[in-house]
Amino acid sequence: MKKMKWFASTVLAGAMIATLVVTAGCSQKETLNLYSWADNFDPDVIKDFEKKYDVTVNYAVFANNEDLLAKLKAGGSKYDVIQPSDYMVATMIQQDLLEPLNKDNIPNWNNISSHFKNLPYDKDNKYSIVYTSGVTGIAYNKKYVKGEITSWSDLWKPEFKDKVLLLDDMREVIGMGLKKNGFSNSSTNENEIKKSVDDIKQLLPSVLAFDTDNIKQKLIAEEGWIGTVWSGDAAYIAAQNPDIAYVIPKEGSTIFSDNYAIPKGAKNKDLAEKFINFMLDPEVSAKNYESIGYSDPNEKAKPFHSPEYQANKMINLSNDEFARTEWLMDVGKTLQVYDRYWTEIKSGRE
Amino acid sequence: MKKTKWLISPVVLWLSLFLILPMAIVVVISFLGRDEFGNLVIQFSLDNYARFFDSLYLGIYWDTIALSVLTTLICVLISYPLAYYIANAGPTRQKIWLLFITVPFWINFLIRTYAWVLLLRSQGVVNSFLMDIGIIDEPLKMLYTKGAVLLGMVYTFIPYMVLPIYVSLEQMDRKLLEAASDLGASRWRAFWHITLPQTKSGMMTGSVLVFVSTAGMYVVTDILGGSKSTMLSNIIQTQFLGARDWPFGAALSVIFAITSLVLIYLFNMALRSRHERSKEGRA
Amino acid sequence: MKQKTNPLLSIHAYLVMAFIYLPVLMILIFSFNNSRINSTWEGFTFKWYGSLFQNRNVMDALMNSLTIAFTSTVIATVLGTVAALALRNAVRKSKTVLGMLYLPIVVPDIIMGLSLLLLFSQFHFPLGKWTIIIAHVTFSISYVYVIVASRISGMGKQLEEAAQDLGASPWQTFRYITLPAIWPGVLAGAIMAFTLSIDDFMISFFVAGPDSTTLPIYIYGLVKRGISPEINALCTIMIIVSVGLILIAQWLQNKGNRGKKASTLPF
Repeated sequence: MKKMKWFASTVLAGAMIATLVVTAGCSQKETLNLYSWADNFDPDVIKDFEKKYDVTVNYAVFANNEDLLAKLKAGGSKYDVIQPSDYMVATMIQQDLLEPLNKDNIPNWNNISSHFKNLPYDKDNKYSIVYTSGVTGIAYNKKYVKGEITSWSDLWKPEFKDKVLLLDDMREVIGMGLKKNGFSNSSTNENEIKKSVDDIKQLLPSVLAFDTDNIKQKLIAEEGWIGTVWSGDAAYIAAQNPDIAYVIPKEGSTIFSDNYAIPKGAKNKDLAEKFINFMLDPEVSAKNYESIGYSDPNEKAKPFHSPEYQANKMINLSNDEFARTEWLMDVGKTLQVYDRYWTEIKSGRE
Repeated sequence: MKKTKWLISPVVLWLSLFLILPMAIVVVISFLGRDEFGNLVIQFSLDNYARFFDSLYLGIYWDTIALSVLTTLICVLISYPLAYYIANAGPTRQKIWLLFITVPFWINFLIRTYAWVLLLRSQGVVNSFLMDIGIIDEPLKMLYTKGAVLLGMVYTFIPYMVLPIYVSLEQMDRKLLEAASDLGASRWRAFWHITLPQTKSGMMTGSVLVFVSTAGMYVVTDILGGSKSTMLSNIIQTQFLGARDWPFGAALSVIFAITSLVLIYLFNMALRSRHERSKEGRA
Repeated sequence: MKQKTNPLLSIHAYLVMAFIYLPVLMILIFSFNNSRINSTWEGFTFKWYGSLFQNRNVMDALMNSLTIAFTSTVIATVLGTVAALALRNAVRKSKTVLGMLYLPIVVPDIIMGLSLLLLFSQFHFPLGKWTIIIAHVTFSISYVYVIVASRISGMGKQLEEAAQDLGASPWQTFRYITLPAIWPGVLAGAIMAFTLSIDDFMISFFVAGPDSTTLPIYIYGLVKRGISPEINALCTIMIIVSVGLILIAQWLQNKGNRGKKASTLPF
């Protein structure tokens, strides 16, 4: 059995060499440590940036805002650009985790539509610049869902038993219940919250699954007929399954955004600002958003977008639809109330 | 033979540095308070532990234990005969089987679990197959149920059970079996009185690994259960992330770790008394 | 030595194997699916295999994962085995040490990840591949320990004592008697450690630095946009390469053994 020994030593040697190769692979170029969701940019655009400034972009990934926050809070991480969502920007500002942006280095900030400047979670864009934005609405399959869907309460219809999909997100689901009952999606009034949660508990028998990340697949494959979906995802679903329709309910709904921000202690703040500025260039911007299919807040980029992109009603929402939306606010200590109700909803226990 | 005892020191040193020290931080956090943004507040409090004794969390804890026990039992039933088969194969084939069984677990966990979604969903492979051969007319609802969660858990932890059982079966004293059959014992009797007792330690090890890992697993409940059944691990996860309540999450983890350790201790006690008895028997 | 195997046992073994490989088959099929996300079958394509090798992020992540898994498996297997051997002779095993060895198994992943991150950041230890390796070794030691220890617990000392009586040095005794006897346990422990390391997400996520994204971290980051079939293609290749390596190793071994009586030594 000599071969076994040979095999074991080869594996060992292989591991050592691999370690050496990988550790030795550091280049001398300046490096931008980018931290975002995977595939959140057009890879060609990143390459263009690397070429233009002769730098390396190190693209690390996280799976959700909460992971990002926990990681930054525990410290020790060295990222230059991060992409938190709206409510997370607010939280990070409160916890002093973000570096103020120097707008002089980001002149392309002016290209952003005024709808997306000075948003309530970061009043003067001191810490963040919007990357993309969307709204939560109802996506449904016209093959199975007869009649017009206009309101959140349509989800409660008995014929959708076992066919309703909800986002696996505490604030989205309870916020939807609050909106249905005519309250603010960030209510801190315990009676309002209780009323909405009781309503949602009535909906539970109809719920097929809670899902944020794979709700797209579930609607495309027609596992569920109707569900709460973000507008960008709805555009994707509709492109894959032509029977899908999308509506922003009349009671109004939640608007959200993903943003650029620079965490405290970033090593390469200048390069980070260069990157943000580069991404906001009209042509670069058009190329990037055409590739990833999200909404582009860049007003100057409009002429560079394809007619199909501009005609897409789920990517480019109307002013009327925007008027019905509300940003989620940090609910402070009421978060504990939300959390308890959410645990009750998810576990089916009291 | 005392002289080998110093060999434990590198491990003890390693674990003290990278396990006990960080765990000490967690234990400290479990006694602290928090402000409304989730920042830790330095004040001694037992509230985080008291909160656990709410019927909501106790109920979830109970669900978690029930699921873990069930998963462990099914894993033993599936894995024991498999490990027995492997241990009785030729020496090369043994290694091949072991590796073949673990290779699928080297590919990503999420991908494997999503593959189950493709199999089990209402338009999935299993339903289409059953409808094609005419066993059912309507698709069965398999996905997003407790059964799907159980299946996913069993699937995930089969290797955790097969490996230890195999290890203990492989070293069994076969002369005893031969003697038994010479004395006219049926194979079944020989298995029951000789093989099974000798492989208890492997089964116990496997059960501990499966039980604790099931209780700590949160992704299977999300993906295959449609996120509709909450386990203790999901709650711990949420406390550290969405709810920003590190002290409560830390307290839940401490409770979980201590109850598991007590359980393992009881297992080991049961095992040791067995072991000592059998040693006396052999002498 | 070899017993006749009951045909029911073989049937059971192959059925379990089929159960284990059923999802793998789905992954393989969907790696040829002409759609960006794995939901419905859109037609056959090879394109994901092509684009996979163009995707720098995936390739870097794979390299990181393999390096980390190999390194941490070697360290953890040695440490875990040493621990099991050291505790073998202790008549009354110290409960503290035992508790310590079991602790990594019972601590939830997120706690282990976060607490290690707190530790590393307190001591300004730069996050990267080494911090992930440390974390993986920490939890793998226990798994190696329990498996090797359960092997040792059923082992007699007669052979080793006989060897020493015949004048073998402690090293010779270890090398030619003890190691061969525990080898299946060591091997099983190593397989377990490798499997845990290559598949770990939560702990790696927290202790990873900007340039040490592992494959599971990358794949979790993809879920928001939809996991692309490139990953299915990658998993398919990983399975095929692993299975191929196993078969080659067996072939080499058979060739080496031909004409020679099978030895009971591990090497």
